[in-house]
Amino acid sequence: MIWVTWRQHRASLLFGFAILLVLCGFLLATGHNIWSVYRSTGTEHCVLTHHCDAITGSFNDRFNAYQFLIPLFLLIPALVGIFWGAPLVAREIENGTHRLAWTQGITRRRWIATKLTILLGAAVAGLAGFTYTLAWWSRPFVATSSERFNPGIFDLRGVVPIAYVLFAVALGVAAGTIMRRTVAAMGVTLVAFVGVRTSITLWARQHFATAKKLASPFPFPFKDSSGLAVGPNAWVISSNTVDRAGHLFGKGINLNLDAMAARCPGLIPGPPGGPPKEGFRALPDPSSMQACIQRVGLQVRSTYQPGTRYWPFQAIESAIFIALAAGLIAFSIWWLNRRVS
Amino acid sequence: MTALTATGLGKRYGKKWALRDCSLEVPEGRIAALVGPNGAGKTTLLHLATGLLEPTTGSVSVLDRAVGSDRDLLSDIGFVAQDVPLYRTFSVADMLEFGRRLNRRWDGELAKTRLTALGISLEDRVGELSGGQRAQVALALALAKLPKVLLLDEPLASLDPLARRDFLGVLMESVAEHEISVVLSSHLVADLERVCDYLIVLSAARTQVAGEIEPLLHDHKIIAGPRWEGASIGGVTSIVTEKHTERQTTMLVRVEGPILDPAWSVQDVGLEDLVLAYLGKPGASALPGPRLAVARGEASR
Repeated sequence: MIWVTWRQHRASLLFGFAILLVLCGFLLATGHNIWSVYRSTGTEHCVLTHHCDAITGSFNDRFNAYQFLIPLFLLIPALVGIFWGAPLVAREIENGTHRLAWTQGITRRRWIATKLTILLGAAVAGLAGFTYTLAWWSRPFVATSSERFNPGIFDLRGVVPIAYVLFAVALGVAAGTIMRRTVAAMGVTLVAFVGVRTSITLWARQHFATAKKLASPFPFPFKDSSGLAVGPNAWVISSNTVDRAGHLFGKGINLNLDAMAARCPGLIPGPPGGPPKEGFRALPDPSSMQACIQRVGLQVRSTYQPGTRYWPFQAIESAIFIALAAGLIAFSIWWLNRRVS
Repeated sequence: MTALTATGLGKRYGKKWALRDCSLEVPEGRIAALVGPNGAGKTTLLHLATGLLEPTTGSVSVLDRAVGSDRDLLSDIGFVAQDVPLYRTFSVADMLEFGRRLNRRWDGELAKTRLTALGISLEDRVGELSGGQRAQVALALALAKLPKVLLLDEPLASLDPLARRDFLGVLMESVAEHEISVVLSSHLVADLERVCDYLIVLSAARTQVAGEIEPLLHDHKIIAGPRWEGASIGGVTSIVTEKHTERQTTMLVRVEGPILDPAWSVQDVGLEDLVLAYLGKPGASALPGPRLAVARGEASR
């Protein structure tokens, strides 16, 4: 059965691995440059020692164009599910060859079990290799940002890509088994994969653990969420700017100048020599701004997941997708045994 | 021992019965023809016999072993499905390797010799073979399992007359050599007459005729005589079809012993006539055993 699986799927397996190899080759080639810039510009040193926004900013700007790769990389598990998973049973039924395969001397259960084992194994191996290469390639970018929970980072690193590909292949197999048509199953696989992934990323992930709440003095001058004392690499889910009494000053980290001016008369200087002109307003100078912030007791209340929860979250998300994959596979095998002829 | 037994076998999809209340026995060592119009349930019956389908009602067994519960039964069944499914990207050698890997018992040499003798190279791609060659590859695969029962679903349908003759030739040869029981579904009755010795007629999802061809032909006659008004005729047990002109009546009847009434001229019947007669009269049946004979509503007329 192993030989049969290989003989039947070798073309799509080899093609899939060829594409992954090309992508890895691209990552290796460009990654070399990224790492040498990362080191030669002192960015690495900077990141290891301490804050140096100017350098990390310019480093990130330099490679900004690579952003376009993120959606492509996010879709790789879906593509594996579409091209390896969906045709597995559907193509067999479309060609009527299931009647040949299932009337030989082995059971249907063994037939599907062997195929799934090989295919899922290949998918895991392929994605593991790719994810490892991508992790190396993107390490400079991740190190210079504080957003490890960002979907473009969290979803492409660690163990979740492997869970995603297991889910995608299982989804493809299940869709193909039920629908019996390859192209339709491919479409359903894509839509369902994107749907489930999006829902979990946008709505479920932030609830994997009870978010922490923290009120911290308004970070002035504002740089990024690292000023909120939520700890390194935290995922700030929401934050509100409030005064000492807890009155809302603005959504997010927000200096509402009008509200501030009402509390600190003279905060905003009048225009030099003359009445105020329409549409013109001078900015307060930083020290009086700072004083006003102190007086109002401006603070930011944040809801966040601390950076230490990164790996637990990876584990939870992986467990969800592996469980979904297991359910889909069990369902496919059951359906195949009972409902398909 | 019986090659194939169905008892009250039925398969329903939603509200539609693909096969209903089918009971039949094909004794071992026969080449049985399974005939019937499209949609009569021939394919369904064969799929039930191979375990591809599960019955809605009744049961089916092959070689006296219940299909579905006996895991090793598939090793003893050679099956060629309708439209001869094969992997088109495989070479013929790959196809044989496929069979070798998926079966415990396998005689690949036999298959190779047979295919080479037919001028089919092992390097040929299945997708590039002619319909006749593909059917031969499928038959070789089924025979290489060294089955005890061979089930063939419309293997002749897409073949030209020459390929049909070759196919049946190989089939006859192997069956004689290895003592295989065969159930062959087809609607090409003329081709079957040469090779088959057992007949099953399925129509409208029911079994209409089941029995050995020779006695069946012996027991059916075409009789012609003066216009018949319903009196009983000595020797005739049931009337399958009747055709009347103003003065004359021609009937295909089932007989028991000779027809002595000199008013009737008696003629032998061919397999095709017999099959067509029954298919034209879905109410009539000729079944062995206790269900024998009485064509419902026909004899009493």
